[in-house]
Amino acid sequence: MSNDLQLKIEEFLLKSGKEGKVSELIPLTGGASAETWKFTFSDNKNSEQLILRKGSGKKSPLAVLKSEEAEIQQKVRSSGAPVPEIVAISSDDKDLGDAYLMNLIPGESIARKILRDKKFSEARKKLAFQCGEALAKIHSVDTNDFSQVPKKPIRKELERLNLTYKSFNQPLPVFEYAFKWLNQQDFTTRKDTLVHGDFRLGNLMIDESGLAAVIDWEMVSIGNPMLDIGWMCINSWRFGQSEKVVGGFGDLEEFLEGYNSISNEEINHEEVKIWQVLGTLRWGVICLIQVYAHLNGDINSLEKAAIGRRVSETEIDLVDLLFLGGK
Amino acid sequence: MIFDRPTNAELVEVVSEFLEKEIKINLPDHLAFKTQIAINVLNIVKREQQNEEILSKESKEILLNLFKDPNKANIRELAKQIEMGELKLDDKELQEVLIEITKKKISVDNPKYSTYKKLIE
Repeated sequence: MSNDLQLKIEEFLLKSGKEGKVSELIPLTGGASAETWKFTFSDNKNSEQLILRKGSGKKSPLAVLKSEEAEIQQKVRSSGAPVPEIVAISSDDKDLGDAYLMNLIPGESIARKILRDKKFSEARKKLAFQCGEALAKIHSVDTNDFSQVPKKPIRKELERLNLTYKSFNQPLPVFEYAFKWLNQQDFTTRKDTLVHGDFRLGNLMIDESGLAAVIDWEMVSIGNPMLDIGWMCINSWRFGQSEKVVGGFGDLEEFLEGYNSISNEEINHEEVKIWQVLGTLRWGVICLIQVYAHLNGDINSLEKAAIGRRVSETEIDLVDLLFLGGK
Repeated sequence: MIFDRPTNAELVEVVSEFLEKEIKINLPDHLAFKTQIAINVLNIVKREQQNEEILSKESKEILLNLFKDPNKANIRELAKQIEMGELKLDDKELQEVLIEITKKKISVDNPKYSTYKKLIE
């Protein structure tokens, strides 16, 4: 199978004007909706490391196609945000199906390594500021170019999350409280922008000097930019380093300072808190989606079953944020 | 009880220790990671087995205290009354109930979780 794929990639690259050989084709673990492969491409002068991202070809209402994901990345890259360079885009089954090729950015994406390894100690000091900067650049991209990106106004998103939660018929009083509380908040103060949708450690390539690339654009949408800010600041992504609000490595002040070095939007801590509540609730509902994929028999999986008992982590974070001065 | 020892809690414990001490260390990273998830799951079963009775009893008392009606003293009713607005968001007693019940759940699911550790200190 990988031999087949190897030839297909070579053929496709040749069509795109790059003649050479594919070797060392290795599958990488990726998101549920995509396969990711790493390989070396050599022509008679150089060799380079590339990544293939390939979708199932099915259009899901929540995710964009891989070919669209690639076009978005190209445009974001021209805004100056660190994003891997796209080498070629395929949307034809005769080529690679719904897929794209991009440069491999060397670095680490595993959160625990980034938070604990000595190698990244300098990177960790700069990372919150750099993440703020990168997000502000992403949020500044002209959305008129993106007719294919799903629009997710936040009220609609909350409604969708609530319906999803309700569909499992598993009553969670803390979630009910959080939905009610969020419905009372004012979300009209910001204009919708391009939103990454899953901006956190795991989807960021980090090297010794800090943020090297923002990857995994499958949740991209046009919506409230605060979603990305709040998501980066939830306790679920701090991996035990809970005193460091931003991803377990940084302080909110540095993160917002980085954001404001690019953007003119004023963001205060109270507003971030609203979006931390929203982000925590969103992660809680995603946990429910995962565990019910197992319980309903769609996918039999130990990981998915276990994640069902992580819902209470989001509940304790919610009561901490809402009632106990949690940050 | 017609069953002999080891009790179910003791059986779960010995399997968890076996996975931890004899299996996990001999596996490549990705399988060791999955094995750790399996150990975590068994530890949830163990804690729930040990504490279920007392935690359920205490939760029932908390809910009874809030609703004053044994037929309503359950989680489904609590969720419904919040949703319907019968309990108000600024109700301090409601907030306290949510805090206490959530602490009980996480004490079984993951007592090492950072927020829980912070709150019981």
